[in-house]
Amino acid sequence: MSRGTASLAQTALQTDEAALIRAAQAGDQDAFAQLVRVYDQSVLRLAMNLLRSPEDAQDVYQEAFLRVYKNLNNFRFDCSFHTWLYRIVTNLCLDQMRRRKVRKEEPTVVEGGEGLVDRMDTVAEPRAEADPQRKLFSGQVRRRIKEVLGGLTPRERMVFELRHYQGLRLRRIGEILGTSEEAAKNCLFRANQKMRAALGDFV
Amino acid sequence: MNSNTCDEIRKQLAMLLYGELSFDEEERVETHLEKCADCRTALERERALLSAFDQVAVEPSPTLLRQSRERLFEQLQSEPAPQRAHGQSWWDRLIDALPVPSAILRPAGAVALLAVGFFGARLAPTIGGFSGADILASRVRSVEPAGDGTVRIVLDETRQRTISGGMGEAPIRALLLAATRDASDPKLRASTVAILGTQTGPEMTPNVTPDMASDVRDALVFTILNDQNDSVRLKALEGLKSIAMQPDVRNALADVLLADANPAMRNQAIDLLMQGLESSSAPAVDPRTIGVLQELMSREEKNTYVRQRSQKALELVNASAEIF
Repeated sequence: MSRGTASLAQTALQTDEAALIRAAQAGDQDAFAQLVRVYDQSVLRLAMNLLRSPEDAQDVYQEAFLRVYKNLNNFRFDCSFHTWLYRIVTNLCLDQMRRRKVRKEEPTVVEGGEGLVDRMDTVAEPRAEADPQRKLFSGQVRRRIKEVLGGLTPRERMVFELRHYQGLRLRRIGEILGTSEEAAKNCLFRANQKMRAALGDFV
Repeated sequence: MNSNTCDEIRKQLAMLLYGELSFDEEERVETHLEKCADCRTALERERALLSAFDQVAVEPSPTLLRQSRERLFEQLQSEPAPQRAHGQSWWDRLIDALPVPSAILRPAGAVALLAVGFFGARLAPTIGGFSGADILASRVRSVEPAGDGTVRIVLDETRQRTISGGMGEAPIRALLLAATRDASDPKLRASTVAILGTQTGPEMTPNVTPDMASDVRDALVFTILNDQNDSVRLKALEGLKSIAMQPDVRNALADVLLADANPAMRNQAIDLLMQGLESSSAPAVDPRTIGVLQELMSREEKNTYVRQRSQKALELVNASAEIF
């Protein structure tokens, strides 16, 4: 019963979205604004988690939606709007991550009065604030986890982000990244192995 | 246990937790886990490893999101409208010519649902081009009374917008009512219920129909019964003062007396209930309220104030009963 209701609601939502896209394609600015609002929080979250810099995340956000705006009339409903948008966003993030790898930048951590300060703390809310476990979690382990994530290749990092944090299925991830489900799975598998190797003693 | 099998199974544990194994693979892993304690331990370690990564996840702050939206829409203002890639067919033109009501198009967000729940189809009037459909797509950031009887409401849309209007205007009231249920911002809820509280008295704003007044009452009643924040509840209770004799309000006050964990709320509620009972225009008290008062006599051992007032209320009701 509840499953039936959910899928009905989902269908209604998809129909609404298609109508919104068509309205935006016809030049309705408000419809475009509404489309942005449906997805922009998760876009910003994705960029923040991957790039760990509010400035870079904002740049990706800005560029992604500008591209969507400029190319909306080329969108032909061959895939879902979500997939199309995420293709743009993940490409922008991957470019940025690769540039950083070349320059060996580490933008998230700046030198503060008492050592290293995570700048993300000033612009981001911890996702599990109410979780008492979080308080017990030592800073050392958190630092180590960030190092592990930083040590993954951009593609591994991306697949892990999309699967673990954004909860997307591997099939969808393959679609977004222009690869097969199997390749996405292998990527996630490699990421997981690296994590276990690096953090096996901690957890 | 065959260590080769165990090695193979362990490689699949993460995929098992992500629900990304095929039916057959999952079956094979589950069957093995039932027999192998070592692999079950490994599964728990895998679970712990993955959940450890949740601890470094971040959620963009509302400020960052707002700034991003503002920046984007500033930029879009200076962008030329997107060009059609291909010529339109007659069918496209026909479709495009159809009016698209944005209230129907909008994916249902929490605020939208609330606004619909409160106001239903009555959202016809507009203020400064601001229609009912816009309301459904907006979030109230802050509210403040303007002194001349009107209210100033700052909206978070993709762009921020401010609208002003009197309490009798439907869009203004709809926004205020939606703001009473904005779970993310207790300060907003507190200032909103304070403004709504001024609308319950006999000298309420002209142009407010009794029907609309009942919307406000329902919102305040909902708040005293459901809001998680003590000061928001207290403010809403204050707003019900002038209509404490109404049966629905009286019922809600009784519920507060029975269920609210905050003694200040219960003190205030018993005062309002008394005041309602003392009022000359008060309708006869219903058996439920009497039952609640009697229960309070035996329950409120710690809060003597509530107990004494309950006793007084009961005496009052008995006295009144002879007159009715």
